[in-house]
Amino acid sequence: MPLMDSILTFITEPLAHEFMQRAMLISILIGTVCSIFSCFLILKGWSLMGDAVSHAVLPGLALAYIINIPLIIGAFAAGLFCALATGFIKNSSRVKEDAVMGIVFSGMFAFGLVMLTKIETDVHLLHILFGNVLGITKNDLIEAGTIATLCSLIMLIKRKDLMLYCFDPAHANVIGLQTRTIHFGLLILLALTIVSSLKAAGIILVIAMLIAPGATAYLLTNSFDKMLIIALITSITSCIAGTILSYHIDAATAPLIVVIQSTIFLAALIKSGRKPSPKKGLAHGQ
Amino acid sequence: MIDLLLEPFGYQYMIKAIAACALVGGVCAFLSVYLMLKGWSLMGDALAHSIVPGVALAHLLALPYAIGAFFAGILASFSMAIVKQKTKLREDAIIGLIFTTFFAIGLLLVSINPTAVNIQAIILGNILAISDYDLIQVTIISIICLIVLTLKWKDLMAVFFDEKHAHSIGLPVQALKITFFTLLSAACVAALQTVGACLVIAMVVTPGATAYLLTDKFTKLILIAIALGTLTSGFGAYLSFFINANPGGLIVSLQTLIFLSAYLCAPKYGIINTKRNVYKIKSYQKGAING
Repeated sequence: MPLMDSILTFITEPLAHEFMQRAMLISILIGTVCSIFSCFLILKGWSLMGDAVSHAVLPGLALAYIINIPLIIGAFAAGLFCALATGFIKNSSRVKEDAVMGIVFSGMFAFGLVMLTKIETDVHLLHILFGNVLGITKNDLIEAGTIATLCSLIMLIKRKDLMLYCFDPAHANVIGLQTRTIHFGLLILLALTIVSSLKAAGIILVIAMLIAPGATAYLLTNSFDKMLIIALITSITSCIAGTILSYHIDAATAPLIVVIQSTIFLAALIKSGRKPSPKKGLAHGQ
Repeated sequence: MIDLLLEPFGYQYMIKAIAACALVGGVCAFLSVYLMLKGWSLMGDALAHSIVPGVALAHLLALPYAIGAFFAGILASFSMAIVKQKTKLREDAIIGLIFTTFFAIGLLLVSINPTAVNIQAIILGNILAISDYDLIQVTIISIICLIVLTLKWKDLMAVFFDEKHAHSIGLPVQALKITFFTLLSAACVAALQTVGACLVIAMVVTPGATAYLLTDKFTKLILIAIALGTLTSGFGAYLSFFINANPGGLIVSLQTLIFLSAYLCAPKYGIINTKRNVYKIKSYQKGAING
């Protein structure tokens, strides 16, 4: 059958290249970890925290380059610093949280930008901003893969506790969970997830990968476990489709993945709009 | 020494850049006061990212970039409103979802046709190499914004503080809100040229928040914010001549430094003085109990 054949070549042809294999692998890995986190992010209302932390890693990369430590550590430290500084300034001044968040992350981004234009690095600014799936090296793959797998496992194993905390922190506290530990644990997981996705997706598009799958799943189901599964499926499907399609139409991979994820969200929106009152059970965790 | 300090003013492109930055900085700072009070700070960020596909498309079709940006901004706002109406998703998730989608579409457009658009200029600003044509657009946008804001600042304040009250004294609340968002999109379009899409948020948040730490009066709030916005933006562009770094990054770094100093040392709301006051009250209470 010529049609089947051509479909098969359409899929397998890109995978004959080693860089495409690596691209496929890394996009599936970060698609997995981002989609799992997105479910918690949606429940907790932390979408803009993801935005802030991902922009804030920029000075960390520059500093790490100057003092010659792995870039990933610098990025992680900067991301975490942004989240903690936001919390601290919010608690000790009369400025509202959203404004504080905006000030801290844009300030850090600007500082990183100035540093990166001043020092000679092998960090390519545009690659950090937009990601460079096709230029992933074997080392990048191992680094990002380890972090992503570790985060995914922790989140899956601890999903009950995390879900309860995101859903209702007061209740979680009452039944004896260490809410402070969980709060900081989640922040650390967020920073790690973003750091692992940095090289492939870039610091702006990782926000989309951290929101879209969870938002899509949220429209379609009331059960948290189902939400996780739907988020995983949509995210991994769009990562695979995006990578293959980007090869054929010669477009940037990460933006294409995001556009596909958003298209799936749109489809879910249209579908869920038809059902009478589709979501009841899973309310917001205020 | 003075010759050295005046050297940037000998170049026409520097004068243009400093003037344009100061103008845009002032307009954005004016808007920041309202955004900050209402808790809509991240709308500025979302709008700035959302207009990227419009700018890219305008470049591809050789249209004035402001038109493309403006339409993309309006489309993004509408999409947010529709998704909000149709789902129970939180507002922050909707904002994040829509702006990153628009941004991704913009990048996709650029990646398919890489030669026509200078993506770095859109994301990081390009004020030092701004064309006269773009400079005219920025100036017109800023001046219109300034005029409207100067005429309507009191009405906007009434609407933003208390919608019901504003309604009862006969103000057209809905029209004023739409006006405000139109102005915000226009200011974001202008700021995109000076500091780039990623840093627009600082221009429309930081001056207002800094002023908020320094005063309680609304008129003073506006004046301080505008002064801060104008001075930091102009000075940042001026400084970029000597430091040879991205002007947007310098402008926003300056604004953040000033915010941090206000956060630490502001007379009434800075944390150093707040702590001292708390200590004073405590020791006063102790004294009262003991004696």
